Amino acid sequence: MAVKTGRGFAAIEYPTGMNQNGDPSQAWIKVKPDGRIDVFAGTSDIGNGSKTIQSQIVAETIGVPYEWITYDNSNTDSSPVCTGTFASRATFVAGKAVEKAAENVRQKILEIAGKELEIDPSDLEIIDGEVIAKGAPQKKISVPDVAAAATWGYGELITGTGAQLKPYATIVEPETGKVDLPPHSAISYASCAAEVEVDDETGTVTVTRLWQCYDVGKAINPTLVEGQIEGGAVQGLGLGILENCYPYYPSVEHRGGQFGAYLVPGMVDLPQIDTLIIENPSSDGPYGAKGIGEMANNAQPPAIATAVFDAVGVWVTELPITPERVLRALQEKAAGGGAPKRDGKTVIFDSNLSVNTVGTGIAFGAAA
Amino acid sequence: MNLTVNGVDTTIESGPLTSLLDVLREELGITSAKAGCEQGGCGACTVLVNGASRRSCLTPVASIDGAAVTTVEGLGSPEHMSPVQQAFTHHYAAQCGFCTSGMMMAAQAYIEGGGSDDHEAIQEALGGHVCRCTGYVKIIDAVAAVARGESFDLSVTAAGTAMTNIGGMA
Ligand code: FES
Ligand code: FES
Repeated sequence: MAVKTGRGFAAIEYPTGMNQNGDPSQAWIKVKPDGRIDVFAGTSDIGNGSKTIQSQIVAETIGVPYEWITYDNSNTDSSPVCTGTFASRATFVAGKAVEKAAENVRQKILEIAGKELEIDPSDLEIIDGEVIAKGAPQKKISVPDVAAAATWGYGELITGTGAQLKPYATIVEPETGKVDLPPHSAISYASCAAEVEVDDETGTVTVTRLWQCYDVGKAINPTLVEGQIEGGAVQGLGLGILENCYPYYPSVEHRGGQFGAYLVPGMVDLPQIDTLIIENPSSDGPYGAKGIGEMANNAQPPAIATAVFDAVGVWVTELPITPERVLRALQEKAAGGGAPKRDGKTVIFDSNLSVNTVGTGIAFGAAA
Repeated sequence: MNLTVNGVDTTIESGPLTSLLDVLREELGITSAKAGCEQGGCGACTVLVNGASRRSCLTPVASIDGAAVTTVEGLGSPEHMSPVQQAFTHHYAAQCGFCTSGMMMAAQAYIEGGGSDDHEAIQEALGGHVCRCTGYVKIIDAVAAVARGESFDLSVTAAGTAMTNIGGMA
């Protein structure tokens, strides 16, 4: 009886945004007389950071400082339509709507600046809140001055709208209803390596390290992306070894009756987390961004399961990997069984290709 | 009954067995303390009672008659944030924010008690607080930074490293 260490990894791919038709997001932006910018969009920031990220996109696209942007609190009264904050779409889909709206605002600012400077708008650019003639930087006018001119001189409101909508699919075979639906949603890729300790007497699994590697297309705000990945890591740890509404489903008899019966990871469960962000740009997200929201907790459970196999040689094929399941799997193995099974089917497992076999040669990076 | 809430002497009209959480939220309209589990299990309702962190959901108001109660509003204002509030902001230690008030009150008690920047000590001190979003990493970083006495220039937080990729100040 001993505590055994194991390592395993898993890789996933994840589509960003809804993979069917439609899924609209709209945005409206207006420039106040002092050049400060109001953004109205329907994406609620539920902690995913979308207000920050979409404000950054607006600042970058127009060419003004981030501090000039006010992102209105999304609501069902004054905000344009957005399908919502789900499907990892707040940056990828709604961020694109905001980018398009901001581009229209930029054009309008250039147009009015062109009149003021008597220069063709195509020869102007906006850098850090100033409209500057390309190649003649002494000829310039600030965005606040342009906004004031629009308001008091030209009687105009500088404004722009933008929307993002996946095209509807074309039915190519009316008899069968088969559609031609190219995958519009950017595919993100991620992998996770887990290190665990398994006590083969008690069956307890402790996750000691998680290495996380995520392709997010473009990390518009790397710290927020890192926060999503770290949060996802601990959620994935919970799904892997702790969280369960109905421990003996379909029996509901052992359903937890109160808060504490549902085991969410706490601070004491926190493993060392190492995060690597990869930028492999998408063609249709804002600045090449993809989504990070939901995929962040997908790779840990299978990585933990392979690490448990690496540690004690049993496959636990149901989540979460509770002490009871580990002990039952160890018992079954001791009795001569223990091949991986799921719903009565044997899982094909080629030990020559397994993580266990090749894993020992992999350098997992320097110890912290 | 009387409480001093964030420095203000306040007469309490609610019944003696009303939880401090309900007194704060329902009678006084102070909603920073969150009603999470209302069973003592999540920490979202944590406030300071005479300087000690306490679960307001499990505290009948009569049991603390006359005490000084501090909520997040009593730590600092948006213009003058306390070190703990600054650190949480600087380190992006909140996502949805539901656990954040309770986390900050526990952090405040930990810092006032002379807590160190040792991660295990912080995990122990804040261990009863559940966060569904952050994975705890940035919360622990924030508390450790305060324990080390670091100061934060929040005027550059927005334009700092997090935004150098897109939309940051040049
Ligand atoms: S609401 Fe008080 S501990 Fe959860
Ligand atoms: S930030 Fe959402 S629960 Fe902690």
